[in-house]
Amino acid sequence: MTRWLGLGLAVALAFALAVLLGPAHIPLAQLASSDIVRSLRLPRAVLALLVGGALGLAGASLQALVRNPLADPFLLGLSGGASLGAVLAIALHVTGPWALPLAAFVGALAAMALVYRLGLVGGAELDPRVLILAGVAVGAFASAVTTAIVSLSEAAQLRNTFLWLWGGLSGASWDTVLVVCVYFPLPVAVLLAAARPLDLLALGEEPARHLGADVEPLRRRVYLAASLLTAAAVAVSGVIGFVGLIVPHAMRLLWGHRHRSLLPASFLAGGALLALADTTARVAVAPRELPVGIVTALVGVPLFAVMLRRWTAS
Amino acid sequence: MERRSPLRTHLAVVVAILAACRGSEHVRPPGRVAALTVTDDAGRTVALARPARRVVSLSPTVTELLFALGAGDRVVGRTTWCDYPPAARAVPSVGDGLNPNIEAVSARRPDLVVLYRSTLNETAARQLERLGVDAVVLRQDRLEDVARGARLLGRLTDRAAAGDSIARFLDSVLAAPRPAPHARLAFVAWDNPPMVIGAASYLDELARMAGGSNAFGDIGAPSATVSLETIATRDPDAIVVLADSARAPLPAYASRPEWRTIRAVRERRFVVLPGSLFGRPGPRAAEAVAELRRRLEALP
Repeated sequence: MTRWLGLGLAVALAFALAVLLGPAHIPLAQLASSDIVRSLRLPRAVLALLVGGALGLAGASLQALVRNPLADPFLLGLSGGASLGAVLAIALHVTGPWALPLAAFVGALAAMALVYRLGLVGGAELDPRVLILAGVAVGAFASAVTTAIVSLSEAAQLRNTFLWLWGGLSGASWDTVLVVCVYFPLPVAVLLAAARPLDLLALGEEPARHLGADVEPLRRRVYLAASLLTAAAVAVSGVIGFVGLIVPHAMRLLWGHRHRSLLPASFLAGGALLALADTTARVAVAPRELPVGIVTALVGVPLFAVMLRRWTAS
Repeated sequence: MERRSPLRTHLAVVVAILAACRGSEHVRPPGRVAALTVTDDAGRTVALARPARRVVSLSPTVTELLFALGAGDRVVGRTTWCDYPPAARAVPSVGDGLNPNIEAVSARRPDLVVLYRSTLNETAARQLERLGVDAVVLRQDRLEDVARGARLLGRLTDRAAAGDSIARFLDSVLAAPRPAPHARLAFVAWDNPPMVIGAASYLDELARMAGGSNAFGDIGAPSATVSLETIATRDPDAIVVLADSARAPLPAYASRPEWRTIRAVRERRFVVLPGSLFGRPGPRAAEAVAELRRRLEALP
């Protein structure tokens, strides 16, 4: 119970800091009336919580699915697909406020479909090992095509596309928050509902079957939901590394391996970490801004190291 | 569709190897003092036996300079970005100016290659030297650089008088009394993540010559990623963007809600400038200063 309280406090603190701090100095009294807070900081803080949560949740689910501690939301080729989509959109002069996010989303979905199809080769079963290999292969192929386009194209914006792809939350607005709020609940609910069967799957495929888990449909469900979640995260904030890899492990140290606690804890902690990292990215080197993916690693690795030490010591 | 025969590809490789061998044996006759010796902006000493007749220009600024010097007929190669003067477009393109394609450059049989100063280009210059092609690396980030470059290129192309006169003209543009700054400008180079132009840039220099000031002049770098919040707080009088032409429509982000926290965006105070004239320093700097000054005075 105290652990949940602590996690809740961490989320609240991260959110409060994200709203209170920024390169602009805004007195407490004007906080509610400030346009900067209402139109910039608030949507950005909410988006950070949601995207970080999605990455934490997707990472925890995929680690359970492929039973590999190195799995993260981008292992299965999604970042490569998203980059390819975004770069193609720029190279083909597709314009519009949503062109880049939509193209990245479509690219990630295409990569997901391809990896999924490859994961099914050799039978109707989704083999986790084949899935990982297919993910790595599709990701490598997509980045090769991306690099070819970038080196052959004459569009000067392509360099900046990469800044966006490895970027972060600077495009946050209430529109993006709305899109995410409409889109996220379904895959999040699917993943949270898969907690019990994922516990069984952790025992091994055969034992899980004997205990009544429908292994095949479960795998497909979890894979598709986690990928859809990640694809949307890429579309609104680019590829933010590290959150989906380390947060689930950190939560496992605190909560153990039961997914009924692990999955919601990963969602909350992922959100808190990303909100904290984004605040740091905006404030640390003001007036300049750091890429948030770098900060998630800079903030996350020491935190994780401390936890690892305490855990191995006890 | 044209198919490239393997034989031709092999031949190209053999020719390149031969050229490389010749390059390594390329030693100037002892005792003979080269007619033209210059030190370029990378600190390399380059000695030309005679004024350059076939020049490959690997930067739009240099292409403009060479044509302004009256040496346009000696330009035998340019980058895809060299769009001024119009006559320059008739020169064959060798691709990019950063990390250039050495084979494409040497295929133009130049006796001088002029490169923009960057680490990759210094490597390229050394590669060209090994092929026996003289190369100079020039800094072209600010107007002072162009004035110095005009003198250097003038000497190398036997147009020393023209080079001096362009350099003196640019010096006078730089030394002209500057109007008191009456408009604070944010030069927005990219929208997501938002990138602005900092102090180490030609645009910053232009702004100060034209009666403006850079709202991000405290950032030392040529450009930097900043948050929208910072732009909103700095509250510039206008947002300056470069586009293909001055008549280009406002950037798409002008109507996005998060950008509308910036007063200048809300009030549609945009200054859209043609990239060919404003995106790089060059002999047309006086024109750019006058044009920007006019645009700033026309701001409501």
